[in-house]
Amino acid sequence: MAQMTRREFIRRLTALGAAAAGATVLGSAAGCAPQPGPAEPPPAPLVGATPTDPATVAPPIAAPKTAATPTLVASRAATIATPVPAGVAYLAVARGPSPAALVEAALGAIGGIARFVKPGQNVIIKPNICNASHGFEYASTTNPEVVAALVTLCLGAGARRVKVMDSPFSGTPEAAYRVSGIADAVQAAGGEMEVMASFKFEEVELPLGLDLRRLSIYQEALDADVLINVPIAKHHSMAGLTLGMKNLMGLITNRPIIHANFGQRLPDLASLLAPDLTVIDAVRILVDHGPTGGNLDDVRLTNTVIASHDLVAADAYATSLFGLAPEQIAHIVGGAKMGLGTMDLRAVEVAELAV
Amino acid sequence: MAVGTTTARSRAGRARRWRRASQAAFLLLFLYLLLWTRQPAPQLAKHALFFRLDPLTGLATMLAARRWIGGVALGLVTILLALLTGRSWCGWVCPLGTLLDLFTFRRARAHSRDLPAPWRSVKYGLLTLIVVGALAGSLTLLVLDPLTLLARALTAAVLPISDALLEGAARTLYGVAPLRGAVSTVDAFIRRTVLPAQPALVTANLALAALLLLVLASSAIRTRFWCRYLCPLSGLLALCARVSVVRQRVDAAACIHCGRCARACPTGAIIAEHGYVADVTECTACQECVAICPTGAISFGQRPSATGVWPYDPSRRQLLLSLVIAALGAALLRGARTLAAPSRWLLRPPGAGEETLLAQCIRCGQCVKVCPTGALQPGLVTTGPEALWTPVLTPRQGYCDYGCSACGEACPTGAIPPLELAQKREMVLGVAVVDRTRCLAWARQQVCIVCEEMCPVPNKAILLDDIEIATPQSGTFLLRRPVVNEQRCIGCGSCEFHCPVEGPAAIQVQRAEVAGTIAHRQAVGSHGAL
Repeated sequence: MAQMTRREFIRRLTALGAAAAGATVLGSAAGCAPQPGPAEPPPAPLVGATPTDPATVAPPIAAPKTAATPTLVASRAATIATPVPAGVAYLAVARGPSPAALVEAALGAIGGIARFVKPGQNVIIKPNICNASHGFEYASTTNPEVVAALVTLCLGAGARRVKVMDSPFSGTPEAAYRVSGIADAVQAAGGEMEVMASFKFEEVELPLGLDLRRLSIYQEALDADVLINVPIAKHHSMAGLTLGMKNLMGLITNRPIIHANFGQRLPDLASLLAPDLTVIDAVRILVDHGPTGGNLDDVRLTNTVIASHDLVAADAYATSLFGLAPEQIAHIVGGAKMGLGTMDLRAVEVAELAV
Repeated sequence: MAVGTTTARSRAGRARRWRRASQAAFLLLFLYLLLWTRQPAPQLAKHALFFRLDPLTGLATMLAARRWIGGVALGLVTILLALLTGRSWCGWVCPLGTLLDLFTFRRARAHSRDLPAPWRSVKYGLLTLIVVGALAGSLTLLVLDPLTLLARALTAAVLPISDALLEGAARTLYGVAPLRGAVSTVDAFIRRTVLPAQPALVTANLALAALLLLVLASSAIRTRFWCRYLCPLSGLLALCARVSVVRQRVDAAACIHCGRCARACPTGAIIAEHGYVADVTECTACQECVAICPTGAISFGQRPSATGVWPYDPSRRQLLLSLVIAALGAALLRGARTLAAPSRWLLRPPGAGEETLLAQCIRCGQCVKVCPTGALQPGLVTTGPEALWTPVLTPRQGYCDYGCSACGEACPTGAIPPLELAQKREMVLGVAVVDRTRCLAWARQQVCIVCEEMCPVPNKAILLDDIEIATPQSGTFLLRRPVVNEQRCIGCGSCEFHCPVEGPAAIQVQRAEVAGTIAHRQAVGSHGAL
């Protein structure tokens, strides 16, 4: 056994003690309660969403035409402004019994996966895996078949690496990945699940942010060649609905700061972290008690998938599934006003497909 | 007798090598089982192996609970081992013993002379205190069990420090752009294999680390100070060792009285006056004497007929004194327990009744280790001294995850009952209470219902009281304010954890008036907090 002099021991003990003290300080700093948002005047009027039966859905209300191409400078965000190729729909809605087929059909209508993924690229797919409490039938997490279909398509388009990730607000990532069924589906399709490491978050500027100017965001998502946003459409008590723009919150650490003003801060986040493609999983939707769910009575089997490069347009269309209009959701209005996309679906080509 | 040849010497060294290999293997096993006590993990129950093998915790728990507890019955195997081979557990198995061997000091080694004899009796005294305390229903002193002591210190301090160091290194290197891919891969690999999941902060980390450091530092006074004088488990094993079959023996004819064995013995069990025959209640079968003897005079085998009585065998007077102290202490603690009503902030793990917990919690810290959110913490302030370091639910540190029932699976004694997830979701941990003077919505008319958003109960246990507010700037807006539905609230603390208010949350979980399941609470008709 090792023999030590007293000096050596004191040195080792001091090092150990210093590390212990340091780590305790580190740990207590990390464990601080989240900071409350600054005192804000109440946001733009948001009437409480009253979900109605989607069978009696009213068509989207025509809104004034939104502004033309904005001056977006951040590299990620520039993709929203990319013009749509000729002969391709702006937004596609596919309805049918097979989630995988819906994804393929919807993507096909907006130009195919090749429009978004080039050979050799690194792809990050961001589904909603917000809790480890319920399986996908409860419609609180994205349908694993939808995610797997996207993984397969991306690999088929020659992507070098397809990583799937989210940071749940309830439960550990490993547990959430497993309970949602997404880990198994993704691995079977040849993709990788990534547990989001805390050291990969970095504070960045939001140059286009009107309310929020700095935020800590997952670096890999910002640096990825392709970011595919795959939310599930759900009721949300504070935001009204949680769709594509809200889904981006899984890529940041400071949730409370967004909560303080959803209407403007979600668009601010989206202005930098704009995904290249948004695929809204509406195979099942959660019409009440979101975003956590847990009651099968709150789930509707709507067998729908919505796909678009335009995050705002996809969200705007999805409101109709809940019997709502895009104008009723503050962050959709905010996003359109900022020029991140359009919420006037009558002004763009919408392909409705029966699969 | 000729001086031992090289072959004889290496043969002698072989036993010591086996012992070192055994120590390494058991220490690694202990660390592995502890590291992988995490959720989700299959067969969590197996990770408490060492605590199940520990006869001290097993005996104390069964005495305190007044029943046979299968979960800790493996301790009988260790007792059997001690009855056959003496304190070989201390020399070959005990992970704390192995750590103490790693932290020996040349200066301390030179002190072959023992501390005064009564010091050796302290461990028997502590053992008595534990047994009598257990009979009185209190397991408080099990914090001095070596395995629980080591496990708690690792969980509370060492693992979080290692995690912080790894994270710090990763964060620094990640800043160097060309290294990003490598850092990612290496970190992911380490997280998958060696240091899984980010350990939650344990509030008692300094105290728990200090206890281990004290034990390790005591090795500066004498080698294996803890094992010689203090460890209550060694006291128990020492009693068993008195009848052991396999012991150290000295071939008097071969012995040249060089005294090297006495100096080499880590527990000071060998003294010249007894012919270099090791005291069987102190000998840990480490084989150092066997290896160092130049003539090969020492061996281990079936005991000779004559054995000596050592001066520090506990006397009747010391035993009586220990019993009296123990009885008084237990009575005091018991009195304190019955007099004081439990604090309204005292929340326990799901399904853990207060009486059962106090009678069966061995303070191993497995539940604290496995809890994925850091909800369970070693208690002190809310529990009172008797229930020191029993698990308490602290929602502001971590919520009780709706998808998890790991604590009951990990508990070796059943102090926290193993529950199916569906059962666990029915258990009332407490009731949330909104402080309307601090809640952003109630007190400041700000838009915030994060508590309702995070509530995991199906159909939500927080209702929304909506009113229209007129403001000069933006017309009317809908203000939603949280109201707890006390029939549905299970007290998981998701609301309290996520509440964005500075300092204590504006919605806090308090101890429920009626414990048990949601259904029971409805039947009894109570739905309030204490």
